[in-house]
Amino acid sequence: MDEPTLIRHVANGDAAAWEPLVLAHQEAVFRLSYLLLGDPDDAEDVAQETFLRAWKHLKRFDPTRPLRPWLLSIASNLASNRRRSAGRYFAALTRAFRDEPASVTIEEKSSQHMQANDLWKAVRTLNVADQKIVYLRYFLDLSVAETAEVLQVADGTVKSRLSRALEKLRKVIQQDFPVLFEGREA
Amino acid sequence: MSEMDFETRLRSIAGEMKYPRTPDIARFVTARLQTSTRPRFNSKALAWSLTIILVLCSSLMLIPPVRAAILEFIQIGVVRIFPQPVEPTVEPIRTATPESIAPMTATSSSQASNLIPILDQMAGETTIADAQDQVKFPVLLPDYPTDLGEPDYVYVQDMDANVLILVWLDPQHPDKVLMSLHFIPNDSWAVKKVEPTVIQETSVDGQRAIWTTGPYPLILFSNDIQYTRLITGHVLIWADGDVTYRLETDMSLDETVKIAESLQSIP
Repeated sequence: MDEPTLIRHVANGDAAAWEPLVLAHQEAVFRLSYLLLGDPDDAEDVAQETFLRAWKHLKRFDPTRPLRPWLLSIASNLASNRRRSAGRYFAALTRAFRDEPASVTIEEKSSQHMQANDLWKAVRTLNVADQKIVYLRYFLDLSVAETAEVLQVADGTVKSRLSRALEKLRKVIQQDFPVLFEGREA
Repeated sequence: MSEMDFETRLRSIAGEMKYPRTPDIARFVTARLQTSTRPRFNSKALAWSLTIILVLCSSLMLIPPVRAAILEFIQIGVVRIFPQPVEPTVEPIRTATPESIAPMTATSSSQASNLIPILDQMAGETTIADAQDQVKFPVLLPDYPTDLGEPDYVYVQDMDANVLILVWLDPQHPDKVLMSLHFIPNDSWAVKKVEPTVIQETSVDGQRAIWTTGPYPLILFSNDIQYTRLITGHVLIWADGDVTYRLETDMSLDETVKIAESLQSIP
């Protein structure tokens, strides 16, 4: 059954049809939440709430449109709300910089993985709006159109915001993480 | 390195990011949908406050004169204001409830000096230009007082619909908030104020408006949003079309109405 058909089933009260849709999108939703919050437990809470909230409001969703950007938009907003809690925010931030993710083994600590972690640290110095656009475009590999749908702005706005965010990120990398472009002219 | 090369390199590095294993969210969500049709409150504090309010309202509803008083609320746009009941029979209950909620939702004057860290962590910080892209209504800025300038903080927060919050700091005391202006679209959730100290009707550009003075608890009905008042002062509330405006200041009513009536579209 394709996505629009499943969405129509759910909107008509078939809760079981929601499970394959959650399975299809849970990884992207969880990963965006994790990138924004820096804590897997918080990310899991946000991802769960995202799918519950989306289910609740699915009747208002146009089933001809792709579901993923809408889900990511909900997750992004929920993650932002959660960041407002000062204690939770600083605790997550501290953990993010203190601990390696539990699943990373010594073998996995390859140069590439460490570079990715450094890039994440660099992105986290940007403001939240800039972080979101970088995560969506480069970490989740969304297109400009999909990113625009998540952020509910025009394609042109995505391009201009992205350009500004990249400019800031390039400066952060040059100053604090030059190893990311070692051997290259950053 | 060109922008395109930079982007290619970023995408390549980001693609190597190691994430924690994705938990079985589908199983949790399916179980929740089977046991309940409504999501639980994430915020224990908010759920607790709503429980207290529910108990209070249930108790008060048993007393006929109080029931009449509670049903007489004032509604401006999406904001409902409940006048303070005066019946002596409710005193013991009244003092035991809204005040006990106040520390969670209201900002006391002693907390005012610590607002800047709160502002830095509030969700949805953005710029005026980006805010206009995110909201469906025109963003308005006051041109009174003439030296006010643009807001120091701009937030767009998802409260079912995008709510815009503008914050100006006091130039004489940069650790204090001078004024905040909220734009609440009608398709957002409802806001209730319980027992403000003073209620006065006034008008903004000929539209009915309400002037309240605090401190008083502010209780928001939303899934897991917890609102922090920015000013222990006064609030002017009015509606225009599909938007309800809340202007928090510690200025006089006349000054606040002047500010409200000076709102102009951004160029």
